[in-house]
Amino acid sequence: MAGLLQRLLNLDRRWIFLFVLVSVATPIVIPIGLPVTTTGATRSAFEFVESLRPGDVVWLSFDYGPSSAPENDPMAEGFMRQCLEKKVRVIVSALYPLGGLSLANASVAKVSAEYPGAEYGVDYINLGYKDGAAAVMRRLGDDIEGVFPTDVSGRPISEFPIMQGIKNIRSVKLVMTVATGTIGEWWITQVHAQFGTPVIIGPTAVSAPKYYAFLNAGQLVGMLGGMKGAAEYEKLLAAKYPNLGAFYGKTLLFTATKGMDGQTVLHAVILLFILLGNIAYFSNRSRRAGR
Amino acid sequence: MNLEFGKVALVAIFLLVPFAGIALGMRAPSLRSKIPLVVAFFAGLIPIVSLYVPKRFLSGDTGMSPRLDQWLIIVAGFALLLGITNVIQNSTKKITRRAPGWPYAAVLLAGLYVMSAFAIYGWWSGDGIGIRPDGSATPFQWVYIAVFQPLQATIFALLAFFIASAAFRAFRARNTEATILLIAAAIVMSGRVPLLEFLAFPFPFLHGAAADASQFMGRATEWIMDVPNGAAQSGIIIGAALGAGSMAIRVILGIERGYLGLGKSE
Repeated sequence: MAGLLQRLLNLDRRWIFLFVLVSVATPIVIPIGLPVTTTGATRSAFEFVESLRPGDVVWLSFDYGPSSAPENDPMAEGFMRQCLEKKVRVIVSALYPLGGLSLANASVAKVSAEYPGAEYGVDYINLGYKDGAAAVMRRLGDDIEGVFPTDVSGRPISEFPIMQGIKNIRSVKLVMTVATGTIGEWWITQVHAQFGTPVIIGPTAVSAPKYYAFLNAGQLVGMLGGMKGAAEYEKLLAAKYPNLGAFYGKTLLFTATKGMDGQTVLHAVILLFILLGNIAYFSNRSRRAGR
Repeated sequence: MNLEFGKVALVAIFLLVPFAGIALGMRAPSLRSKIPLVVAFFAGLIPIVSLYVPKRFLSGDTGMSPRLDQWLIIVAGFALLLGITNVIQNSTKKITRRAPGWPYAAVLLAGLYVMSAFAIYGWWSGDGIGIRPDGSATPFQWVYIAVFQPLQATIFALLAFFIASAAFRAFRARNTEATILLIAAAIVMSGRVPLLEFLAFPFPFLHGAAADASQFMGRATEWIMDVPNGAAQSGIIIGAALGAGSMAIRVILGIERGYLGLGKSE
């Protein structure tokens, strides 16, 4: 037994890597369909969007890159789907330099194709990327057109009906930032704190702990924390809108709910490794103390 | 000509003062380091003062503060350009000197030039850098989807392997603090995912109990995240904000001059 534990302590890390690979890949190939329970932060985000009226305008900012897309894409797309279901109009922007714009373009194209009735420039608009995120946010408080004079295709935003009456970020009912890094925090400090616009954040799981402080302080109306938050949001959408329930149940595309299977197995594996590592450590220590 | 107050005042402070400084600096070198301090003083002071004075002077539509924000966006664009220039200079130097790791610098430069060329082509052809109207990808978009996106995803995905390995090798209950951390981590990792339902999956008679236990773990996780984590994060954020505030005051008052890049004698 002592020899086995010693061998365990000296286990080649490549075995661990192989074990992790198999554990994550298997549920992706063969989904388990584990249940998802919702938390208060996600429910309050969902309910806030539900409380908006048709015709209201919200701001969706793609503040993340491809590295965290599996976590963040489902949040942004789920939010957009809810808005288009409710006839809430969406202004899209991207403030993350490493691929935020391409992700915004892809998600807008994907979700708008699901809603053929939604018209570009009337129900949603893509303003594209702008550098200097914090300065952009400050400027949005005064004049949106000053920061984004044209949409992503170069047409003046004043041409689009969605922008009529939307002078600054105060005219927007909600900001949803799907973020990695500090850009999400800037929406709270630069926009909510200075102009009062409510903010919902969809951070990656590693950033989520920081935002509980803002949530507790009432500076965020809700949060979708990591893939778990996105999966919760998908569950709430599926329960509220039957067509989205059918979509999330049948789609072959990646969804956060499917991703949670892999994450669950991986958490089980990591906990198992922690347990084994500690058993081996304490056994080794007691053996040494006994000598 | 529309001589708005904000525009005139900003031009006076940020264009005339530096030019005057350069001119004076030629005569008296000691003044050279003073002028940037004056510029930094006003750049730092205007957004703060704008919160307290009537809108028409500083923070209205034509005031100084919104104009300064606009300038900041333009300066950020130039900062990006400066960063690219810096990358080109450093990487070129590394390649010509055959410094350790120079092939990586060559790959970096190749990526920079190829993507720039595709972006310029997109601008020249009028296709842009995204998807064409017929649904096909522009060369820029194709490289982004086929190369950049998988590379970034791969780098981030490696975290899972390293976290698992590190958890096995280093996450030990060596002392009280480590034990508390380990217990909290175990609860949060179990509570954030339907772990108990997964473990009970092959045993239908345990499904009900696993669901109840999972609910409990979920509540325990939320409590840990809301209360101890939320309190600690608040402390960290407030501490960092106070630090940033005091640093800003030091820069505005010219006490902190590291950003000028001057030697000690200056």
